[in-house]
Amino acid sequence: MSNTETMYKLETDSKLVQEYKYGFVTEVETDELPKGLNEDIIRAISAKKGEPDWMTEWRLKAFRRWQTMREPHWAKVDYPPVDYQDIRYYSAPKSAGTGGDGHGVDPELAKTFEKLGIPLNERDRLSGVAVDVVFDSVSVATTHREKLAKQGIVFCSMSEAIRTHGDLVRKYLGSVVPPGDNFYAALNSAVFSDGSFCFIPKGVRCPVDLSTYFRINAADSGQFERTLIVAEEGAYVSYIEGCTAPQRDNNQLHAAVVELIALDDAQIKYSTVQNWYAGDANGVGGIYNFVTKRGHCRGPRSRISWTQAEVGAAITWKYPSVILEGADSVGEFYSVAFTNKKMQADTGTKMIHIGPNTKSTIISKGISAEESVNSYRGMVQVLPTALNARNHTCCDSMLIGDKCFANTYPVIEVETSTAITEHEATTAKISEEQLFYVRSRGIDEESATSMIVNGFCKDVFKELPLEFSVEAIKLLELKLEHSVG
Amino acid sequence: MTTAQLSVEDMFVPGFDESSLPSDGSEPALLREKRAAAFAKYSELPMPTVRDEEWRRTDPEMFPFDEFTPAPALAPISVAPESGPWDNEFDVVVTVTDEGFHINDAANMLAEKKLVVQSLADAAVNYPEMLKRYMQGEARVKQPRKFTTLVDAFWNFGLFIYVPAKTIITRGVLIRYTHKTPGRVVIPYLVAVADELSELTIAEQYESPDLVELLALSAREFYAKQGAILRAASLQEWGGKTYHIGEDWVRAERDARVDWVSFLLGGQLSKMMVSCDVAAPNSNAYLSGLFFADKEQHIDQCSLQLHSSANTYSNLLYKGAVKDKGHSIYQGVIDAVPHAVKVDAYQMNNNLILNEGARADSLPGLEIDADDLKCSHGATCGNLDPNHLFYLRSRGLPEAEARQLLVMAFFEEVIARVPHEFMRERVRENVRHKVGVAV
Repeated sequence: MSNTETMYKLETDSKLVQEYKYGFVTEVETDELPKGLNEDIIRAISAKKGEPDWMTEWRLKAFRRWQTMREPHWAKVDYPPVDYQDIRYYSAPKSAGTGGDGHGVDPELAKTFEKLGIPLNERDRLSGVAVDVVFDSVSVATTHREKLAKQGIVFCSMSEAIRTHGDLVRKYLGSVVPPGDNFYAALNSAVFSDGSFCFIPKGVRCPVDLSTYFRINAADSGQFERTLIVAEEGAYVSYIEGCTAPQRDNNQLHAAVVELIALDDAQIKYSTVQNWYAGDANGVGGIYNFVTKRGHCRGPRSRISWTQAEVGAAITWKYPSVILEGADSVGEFYSVAFTNKKMQADTGTKMIHIGPNTKSTIISKGISAEESVNSYRGMVQVLPTALNARNHTCCDSMLIGDKCFANTYPVIEVETSTAITEHEATTAKISEEQLFYVRSRGIDEESATSMIVNGFCKDVFKELPLEFSVEAIKLLELKLEHSVG
Repeated sequence: MTTAQLSVEDMFVPGFDESSLPSDGSEPALLREKRAAAFAKYSELPMPTVRDEEWRRTDPEMFPFDEFTPAPALAPISVAPESGPWDNEFDVVVTVTDEGFHINDAANMLAEKKLVVQSLADAAVNYPEMLKRYMQGEARVKQPRKFTTLVDAFWNFGLFIYVPAKTIITRGVLIRYTHKTPGRVVIPYLVAVADELSELTIAEQYESPDLVELLALSAREFYAKQGAILRAASLQEWGGKTYHIGEDWVRAERDARVDWVSFLLGGQLSKMMVSCDVAAPNSNAYLSGLFFADKEQHIDQCSLQLHSSANTYSNLLYKGAVKDKGHSIYQGVIDAVPHAVKVDAYQMNNNLILNEGARADSLPGLEIDADDLKCSHGATCGNLDPNHLFYLRSRGLPEAEARQLLVMAFFEEVIARVPHEFMRERVRENVRHKVGVAV
C-alpha cells in the first residue's frame, strides 16, 4: 500500500480527529527527587541510577561549567525566563522494572504505551522494530534484546549502558557534544535522565530499526534525554525516535543531547517524529524543546543522515548537525517543521566540512500557520582542508494565514576554492492555482490544502521509514485541520 | 543603556568627540541643529563590537581610527580642478578633493533651474524645508548605526541633489571624490531626491592613490518620489590602503523605480550597508553589487530589502570574486512586514573563489510576516566550472585567458545593470586587471 493510500485509510478513522490525542496523564506512583538543582541533587540522580564514580564526577563537572554559562537568547523565539530551580530533575514510575525486556512492566504503564501505539510485549510488536521506551526519567523497557545481542549489538537504556558497558560509554560520551558545548548541553550533561545507547560493532548491519519512545508524564518535571549511537567500521543502523507529553497548562522542559558517531564506512540514519504537547491556542502550556543533536562522521566514507518531522512543542530550539571529518563522508538533513497556534520553532542544521570530498544535502520545509513563528537557521562551513566539498541546500517555507512568520537565516562560509555550495530558499503562500486545480476535482478546501502540504513535504517524508512516514503525514493532517479556512 | 554607563572610549570614536564638532558659527542654524541631534544619538549608541552579529566577521577594531585625524570641512573652490575623462558625459560634475569642492554646470542645467546641485550649507539657506524633510528623513527605516550617526554629526562635505517634478535629467550628475592627503578621515554625506515623475541619474567615483592611508565614512540617502526613476551608480576605486564604512538608504514611493548599483573594487577594508524600502504599491527596486577582493582585501556588505507596503517588487543581485587572501562577506535580509501581501522579492548572491586561501561568506536571510507573497533567495560559492574551462581551452584558448573570459562573463550580468557604457568599460578593465593574465 502506498503512503497516500494508507493516509486516506487512516483518515477515515474518526478517533484520530482530536486536538491532541496524546494529552492524557497516567496515574502511576512515582519516585521523585525534590525540585531544584544543586550538587546534592546531581549526586542523588547519579546514586539512584547506581552510577560509577567517574560518571558522578562527569556530571558534577558539567554542572559547575553550567553555572558559569548564560542562557542563549539569539534564537528567534520569545518565552518567559525559565526558573531552573523550579524543575524536578528526576521522576520515575515506582514500578518501572528498569531496563527489563518488556515483561513485568506496570500494567498502567503498558496501557499508556499501548494508547500511544507502542507495544511492549514482543508478540504484539511492530515487526522489525526494536523499541526502547523512556517514561519521564527512566527507561521502562527495551524489546528485542536477545536477537540483537547475538550479533554483538548493544541496544539498551543509557543508565544500563553506564553500568554494563562503562568503557564504551566513557570512550564516546561527550566526544561529539562536550559538556561545555552550550548552555542546554551543559545542563543535560549534569542531570541527564535516560535515553538510548546503541552500539553496532564492526561490519554489522542492524537487522531491525531501533526505536525509542519518549514520554513526559509527571508534572513540573523536565526530561533530559541522552542518546549515544556508535556505528563501528562498516556498520549500519536506522534509529527512530518519537515523543509525546500530556496536556498541561505549565511549560515543561525537554533538554536533550544526542550524539552519533560513525567510523569508517559506517552509516547512521536517525529519524524523529517530535510531537510534544504544543500548548493551546492561546499559547498556554507546552514543552520547551531545547535540543543539541550532533553527528560526527569520523571515518572515511561514513554517512549520517538526520530526518525530522517537528510538529509539536511550544518552543523548539534544535539544530541537528554533522561534522564531516572523514574523507568522502556524507551528511544529510531532511526536515519538516510545522508550527501552528502560538508555536515557535527555530530549527535547522550545521554542516561542517573538514575532510576532502565531503558532501552534504539540506532539505528543509517549514510550514507556518495561525500565529506561529517558524525559522530556519543553518550553517554550512567549508574549512580549507575540505577540498572538493559539495553542499546543496534548499529551504522552502509555506505560509498559511496572515499572522504567521517565516524566517530563513542561512550562513555559508567557504574557505576553499574547490568547494561548490548552493543555497536556495523560497517563501510563498500555498499556491492558489494548485488549490483551484485540486478543488475543481471536487475535493473540499481542507483536504485540498492538506494534499498540497503533503506534496510540499514529500521530499522529506520519503526519507522516513514507512510507519513513521505514515504517522508524520497523519499528524500533519490533524494539525492542519483547524488552520484552514 | 544610559549615557552615564558608557565610558568615554565606549562613547566616542577616537577623534570624534564634542571638541571636534564643526564649530564654524557661520553654518546655518538648521544644519547645526541637525548635527546636535545626531551628536546626541551618536553619544548614546554603544561602540559596535565583534560580538554584535553584524560585526562578527569584520571586527570594528580593524578600523584604526586612532591613527587618523578628521579632515577639515570642505569649502567651495573657484578654480576648476583637473577635469576627468567622463566629465563630458554628464550635465553637472562635482569634484571633491582635499582642497575643497567644485560644481561645474557645463550644460547650464543649474542656471536654468532644471536641477539643484548644492552643498548642504547652501541648500540649508535656499531649500530649508526640503532639507528638514529629507536629511535623515523617512528613508532611514531603522535606527542608524553608530558610524552613521557619526557621519550625521561630523560630515565634512555634504551635497544635496534635487530634480523638480516632471523633469527628465538624462545625463545626470557625476561626483568625483579624489583624496590624496594621508592620515585623514573624510566624511561625505549625500542627499538626493527625484521628485514626482522625474528622472535622475547619479554616478559617483571614489579614488585615492594606492599608498595613501585614508579612512572614509559615508552616508547617502536616495528618495524616488511617486512615479520617479532614480539611477545611482557608485564606483569605489580607493587605493589599497583606504578604509571605508558606508551606509546607504533608499526609499521608493508609489510607481517609482530605483536602480542602485555598487561596484566595490578598491580599498583595504570596506564595510558597506544598504537599506532599501519599497514603501508604496507598485514601487520597484533593483539593487546590484559587484565586488572583487584580492591581495589582502576585506569586503563586508549587508543589504536590507524592506517591503513596507503591499504590491511591491525588489530584486537584488550581488556578485563577487575573491582571490589571493581576499575575504568577502555578504549578509542580506528580505523583510516583509505584516500585511505586505502580493510582494515579490528576490535576492541572489554568487561568489567565485579563485584560489586556495581566499574566502567568501554568504548569509542570505528572509524574514516574512505576511502570507500572500513570493520571496526567494539563492546563494552559491565555488570556483569556475571546469567544464566551461575545458570547453574554452578545447577551442584553443590558453588557460589564463579562458579563466579571465569566464570571470568577465560571470560579472557581466551585474555590469550590464549600469547605464553608462564608459563606466561599464572601466569596471571590466578593472576586473580584468584583478584577475590577471598569469593565473
